[in-house]
Amino acid sequence: MRITDLEKKQGDFQMKIDTLVLEKGKIHGIIGGNGCGKTTLCKLIMGILRPDRGTLDYEGLDIRKITMTAQRPYFIQGSVYENICYPLKIRRIRPDEQKIDQWLDRCSLAEKKHQYARSLSSGEQQKVSMIRALIFDPEFVMIDETLSNLDPENLELFEHVIFDIQKERAITWLLISHRLAHIYKMCGELHFMHEGTLLASGGKHEILFENKDDRIRRFVANEVIKMETSV
Amino acid sequence: MQLVREMLDAAFSDVGVFDAVCVTFQLAFGATTISSVLGIFLGLLLERARFAGKRVVIRVNRTLMGVPPVVIGLVVYMILMRRGPLGKLNMLFTVQGMILAQVLIITPIICGMTYTSLVSKAPAIRTFARTMGASPMQTQWLVIRELKKELYFAVVTGFGRSISEVGAVMLVGGNIKGHTRTMTTTISLLKSQGIFTEGLTLGVLLLVMAFVIQSLADFFQRGEKTDENY
Repeated sequence: MRITDLEKKQGDFQMKIDTLVLEKGKIHGIIGGNGCGKTTLCKLIMGILRPDRGTLDYEGLDIRKITMTAQRPYFIQGSVYENICYPLKIRRIRPDEQKIDQWLDRCSLAEKKHQYARSLSSGEQQKVSMIRALIFDPEFVMIDETLSNLDPENLELFEHVIFDIQKERAITWLLISHRLAHIYKMCGELHFMHEGTLLASGGKHEILFENKDDRIRRFVANEVIKMETSV
Repeated sequence: MQLVREMLDAAFSDVGVFDAVCVTFQLAFGATTISSVLGIFLGLLLERARFAGKRVVIRVNRTLMGVPPVVIGLVVYMILMRRGPLGKLNMLFTVQGMILAQVLIITPIICGMTYTSLVSKAPAIRTFARTMGASPMQTQWLVIRELKKELYFAVVTGFGRSISEVGAVMLVGGNIKGHTRTMTTTISLLKSQGIFTEGLTLGVLLLVMAFVIQSLADFFQRGEKTDENY
C-alpha cells in the first residue's frame, strides 16, 4: 500500500503525510505520542474517513479484505459466537464451527462462547475482538492498541498468533501500541508520527536506536523510563 | 365478541363503550404503525443528512414533539373541513381523519427519539461495521438492529401518546357514538354528564388494556441484557 500527499483536517488537528509505503506481507508498527494521528491514519486506510487531499493506493487489495480492531472494540448485541460470526455473516460465509472452537480454545474463551459479549472483561473483549478480526482471513490487519489491556501472558499468546499467521500466509499488519518492547519484538518496519506528520520510517533498530531526531529520541526515552518504572 | 359487547354496554351508560374500545385500538395501532415507519425513516434521514439549516429542522422537530394535540386537531379540522384543501376527501369525522391528526402528533415524537439515539450511538456502530467490511446497506441495517431497543421505546412512547390523546380526536372525529368515539372522548363525555364512577372505571380499563399490550410487546422484545463487565 502506498500513501501519497495525504492531508486530512479534523478541527484543529491537521494530518499531512508525504509518502508512506506499507510493504505487503510485513508487520509494520506505528508509534508516536497521544493525538499524533495514528488512529486517524488507520481510519483513512479503512475508508472510514475520507482524505481532503492525496491518494491511498491499495495496489489491488480489496478493501473488504482490510480490517481494524479498535482500542475499545464495539460489540454487537449478542453472544461471543454471534460477534465472531458477524464478519462471516456479512460475507455470506458459512461459519466453520471447528475453526471458531479452535480459536476460542486457544484464547481460553471456550466456556464463554455463548456468553453475552458485552458482559466480558475488557481483556476478554479484546481477545474476542482479535478473533473476530482474523476469522475471515483478512489480508491487511490494523491493530489500534487493541492488545494494550492484555496481561503479559495473553499478549504473548497474540504475538504467537500473529507470527503463526505470518508463517502460514504472509499478510500485512499495522500495529499501534505504546508498548515498545511489544513493537520491537513484532515489527520489522516502524513509522514514527508526530503532530499529524510522519517523521520517520524505517527498520525498527534504525528508528528506535539510531535516529537523530530529538522528538523520536525523547519519545523512546520516555517510553523506556515508563517501562522500567512499571517493572 | 358479542358477549364482550353486551358486558361492556351493560356495565356502562348508553355511550357505546364497546365501539369506543374498538375505535381506540384501530386508531392507536393505525396511527402508531404509520408514524413509526415515517418517524424512524425521517430520524435516520435527519441523522445522516448534512445540509444547511439542519439545526433549525432539529429544533422545529423538538418543538413539534411537545405541540398541544388540540392545535394539531384544529389544523387538521381546517384542512379536512368541506371548504378546506382536502375537503373533497370527506375525511372529517372519520377514523381516517383522526389517524391523520394522530400521525401528525406522533411522528415528530418518534422521529425526535430516533434521531437522539442515533446521534449518540450510530457513529460507533458505523465505524465498527466498516472495520468489519460491511456494505453501506449492511451498515445501516446493523444500526437499526443495534438500536432496536431505543426504536422500540420510541414506538411505545408514540403508542402511549396515541391511546391517551383526546383533544385532536375530539375535534377531528367529533365524538360520534359508534363511529368516532374513543375511550378518552367517552371519559370526557361521561365527565360532562357527571357520571364520574363510570368515567374512572373506563380510565382504569384503558390503562389495563395499555398494560396488556405493553406486556405483550415486551414479551416479544425479550432477551434484554446488561452491558456490565464482570
